[in-house]
Amino acid sequence: MNSPGVALADALSGKRDLLLPCVHCGLCLPACPTYVRMHDENDSPRGRLYLMRAVVEGRIDPAADAFQTHIDRCLGCRACEPVCPAGVEYGTLLEYARAVAVAARPQPWFIRTLLGVFQRPGRMRTVMRLSRWLRASGLAGLGAWIIPRRWHTLRMGLAMLSASGGGKLRRLGRRRRAAPTEASVGPPDAYSALPDTDDKDEVRPARVGLLSGCVQAGLFERVNDATGRVLKANGFAAVTPSTQACCGALHSHSGDLEGARALARVNIAAFEGADVETVVVNAAGCGAAMKGYAQLLADDAEYATRAAAITEKIVDLSEILVRYGMRKGAPIWARVTYDAPCHLLHAQGVAEAPLEMLRSIPQLELVELKGSAECCGGAGLYGITHGELAQSIGSDKVDAILETKAEAVVTGNPGCMMHIGAGLLFRGAGIEAIHPVELVDESYRRGGLY
Amino acid sequence: MSAALTSEVTADLQAIVGEQWVITDPVRLLAYESDGLTAYRRPPGAVVLPADTDDVSQVMACLAHAEVPVVPRGAGTGLSGGALAGPDAVIVATPRMNRIVHVDPENRLALLQPGVINADLTVAARPHGLYYAPDPSSQSACTIGGNVAENAGGPHCLKYGVTSRYVTGLTVVLYDGEVLRLGGLGRDSAGYDLTGVFIGSEGCFGIATEIEVRLLPIPQATRTLLAMFDQLEDAGEAVSAIVARGLLPAALEIIDRETIQAVEASIFAAGYPVDVEAALVIEFDGIEAGLDFEAEEAERCCWEKGAREVRRARSEEERLALWQGRKKAFGAFGRVAPDLLVQDATVPRTRLPEVLRAITEIGHRYGLRLANVFHAGDGNLHPNILFDRSDADELARVEQASREIMAVCVEAGGTITGEHGVGLDKRGYMRMVHSRDVLEVMRATKKAFDPWGGMNPGKVLP
Ligand SMILES: Cc1cc2nc3c(=O)[nH]c(=O)nc-3n(C[C@H](O)[C@H](O)[C@H](O)COP(=O)(O)OP(=O)(O)OC[C@H]3O[C@@H](n4cnc5c(N)ncnc54)[C@H](O)[C@@H]3O)c2cc1C
Ligand code: SF4
Ligand code: SF4
Repeated sequence: MNSPGVALADALSGKRDLLLPCVHCGLCLPACPTYVRMHDENDSPRGRLYLMRAVVEGRIDPAADAFQTHIDRCLGCRACEPVCPAGVEYGTLLEYARAVAVAARPQPWFIRTLLGVFQRPGRMRTVMRLSRWLRASGLAGLGAWIIPRRWHTLRMGLAMLSASGGGKLRRLGRRRRAAPTEASVGPPDAYSALPDTDDKDEVRPARVGLLSGCVQAGLFERVNDATGRVLKANGFAAVTPSTQACCGALHSHSGDLEGARALARVNIAAFEGADVETVVVNAAGCGAAMKGYAQLLADDAEYATRAAAITEKIVDLSEILVRYGMRKGAPIWARVTYDAPCHLLHAQGVAEAPLEMLRSIPQLELVELKGSAECCGGAGLYGITHGELAQSIGSDKVDAILETKAEAVVTGNPGCMMHIGAGLLFRGAGIEAIHPVELVDESYRRGGLY
Repeated sequence: MSAALTSEVTADLQAIVGEQWVITDPVRLLAYESDGLTAYRRPPGAVVLPADTDDVSQVMACLAHAEVPVVPRGAGTGLSGGALAGPDAVIVATPRMNRIVHVDPENRLALLQPGVINADLTVAARPHGLYYAPDPSSQSACTIGGNVAENAGGPHCLKYGVTSRYVTGLTVVLYDGEVLRLGGLGRDSAGYDLTGVFIGSEGCFGIATEIEVRLLPIPQATRTLLAMFDQLEDAGEAVSAIVARGLLPAALEIIDRETIQAVEASIFAAGYPVDVEAALVIEFDGIEAGLDFEAEEAERCCWEKGAREVRRARSEEERLALWQGRKKAFGAFGRVAPDLLVQDATVPRTRLPEVLRAITEIGHRYGLRLANVFHAGDGNLHPNILFDRSDADELARVEQASREIMAVCVEAGGTITGEHGVGLDKRGYMRMVHSRDVLEVMRATKKAFDPWGGMNPGKVLP
């Protein structure tokens, strides 16, 4: 093995104690969406950990095709973590492995360019403006239809963009059943007031910080707006410090740990300045990344403790709403299904809160989605970088969704909303992927809470 | 055999199964150099992933023609190095053959490809009120093919029996590619029970490519108890007392202090007290009537043998919590030491207390950390040795201690494996338990299925 390989492996060697607990039992194999489809143990969690270990032991060069391909092909969905009896911290290891892989062999230009954009707010705004124009003008949707399959990256990118538009929510549940009359549901003020917290120790925080997010702010402004309104209706004033940046999730998942650290430092300072005890995140990927700041900056003398402090404050939107009890809005007579974002379920261990959020909406019929815990194939940039595999995973997801006969699929992460949305679009399914808070917001709106 | 895995052979294999289903890159082969037992590392010459019986037959014929040995592999959760091949041999792995062909509720049978995961079968049978009884602790990942090859057991095999009791028919491909159909619904079962002979053959006879199994109705109800003891031997005696009273629990599992401490220190902490010497999990299942009586009788046995505390599960959650310490033990050891050797031996149940005492003494003598988890009801012990491979002196002591533990079990009238198989790891112990004549019959049986000696060479027989 050559010496640059050894130097690179040093980064991973520092994480030897995270690798060692893997007892090679193989219990993680069936949980892994790539193994289940590729059938190659190198595409399983155990196989990938073994490749990492081989780099650490100096047996293979991180520039080797196999290391590059299989580490790259991981979705980062972390479905392997909850099933691992040894508690191997796969997600963290993957980030280091990605960093090692990228240093050994640079990534394609468009990934590098994209990551660069996310680091510079000015460029980000320009790109988002352009994207919104493509979306609003219908060009994105048109492109997704007419661009040939072999230009996968572009076709998928446009479909995802087009799917991010939303717009069907206002009509949800209105067509299937006649809209209820005032008398049947009662006047708006019959909807519940702010619930009391029964637990005396838990004081409802009056002010909370809110991460705007970059994709969320750029393409899903309506979700951020809904978040603000729903928080307010439930007694929380949300502050969004203007100095905040992208959370850095895409960077750490793509192996750009330094880029991710730089962004983390910016956000830590921003939310420290906001003087809040809780930072609410409405995008699962961003929440998982921010809950990982402590680990990311553990070796940073200046930031380690500050990062640990912020990590403690991060909550998913569903967690805070459910913890203190939610107000009820108007009924929505619709059938929906829920797809768990990997970075909420596996990375943050938040399973029930989003479901409870949905159950708080009167009359909403929540049907179980088969394979809800499995990744949709979106996985950050995966849908774009690994076209074929991502589509195979995505199309299984779309099948399951269509099987439920739901009128909308609910999931709390912009990447998943777009990837699933694109899959639904390609099928001409006519239903949308929406964020849970959008539904709650709609129920409040119909109930006249604002 | 003169092995010759040339590029022509790999090209032929690719022509049969498709290029993407043949792995030859040396880096990609590393993932296949171990199974669930990492003590051995041997990368294979290639890995082939066939889709069905026909693929397997052609692949085998091709390899037999080139005189390249074959090693079957399922999920690689085996704990005896059975699924390892050297650089001269080819692994034929079954993950693509993962289809449940059908579940037949009327006859309570299911027909499966060998790569079906044990737990998936139960999921598929559940809507019919049925399940697949053998439940190895690895059931969420191990394959039915691997279960057949190892004649796998599990915690509930005390009452229900091991894999061999449930397999009713097999399609087997021999080394030369010939396809045999053994047993099976409606077929003539006259003559020797070849299905039975194949079960437990550890990949040395051929590859099972279709498996027919019997399903059972899901038990109506369960009762689960957890008893804590201040002496490991008392727990062993409680087990004997329960059996002597004529009770037939579905499971009787003991976890020792070292194990409890490992689990409690891990993220899977199950709320077991860390200062007891042993915990005994007792489970009864069946029709509701009579279960309470059985549970009470078992509880009484525990008190009589000096239990400190007995807990009873009141709900499914509580039941899972009581099982947690047992189920999560293996993984929790990963947190304690970098390497783990899971031993597997069986002794007559009545000799358990003295064997346990002897094993503890061996551990002390070699200065090793030993943790015991076992299927106490049928005397199947799993002493786990926790160590660090990079310490050469410790590794040597582990090997020495292992050998002595085996000797103690054999001397007590036991045998060298309960369920993990002989594989590569236990080959050296075979002479401890079998006479030369028995080994000769085994050799002759192997020859009857594999006269070429091409199936999983260097395994099982000394
Ligand atoms: C955490 C853990 C817990 C375990 N608990 C138990 C337990 O409770 N009880 C128990 O019995 N075992 C247990 N095991 C051991 C192991 O899971 C079993 O031996 C299992 O049957 C192996 O299945 P596999 O698919 O992983 O086979 P592999 O490990 O891939 O192969 C095992 C052997 O079977 C052969 N083989 C595989 N497929 C075929 C086929 N289609 N045809 C012919 N030969 C084949 C291989 O050549 C090899 O010799 C445990 C293992 C782990 C890691
Ligand atoms: S389940 Fe955990 S310990 Fe087992 S092989 Fe997978 S990562 Fe390793
Ligand atoms: S993160 Fe997801 S894709 Fe990657 S190894 Fe784990 S389960 Fe497989």
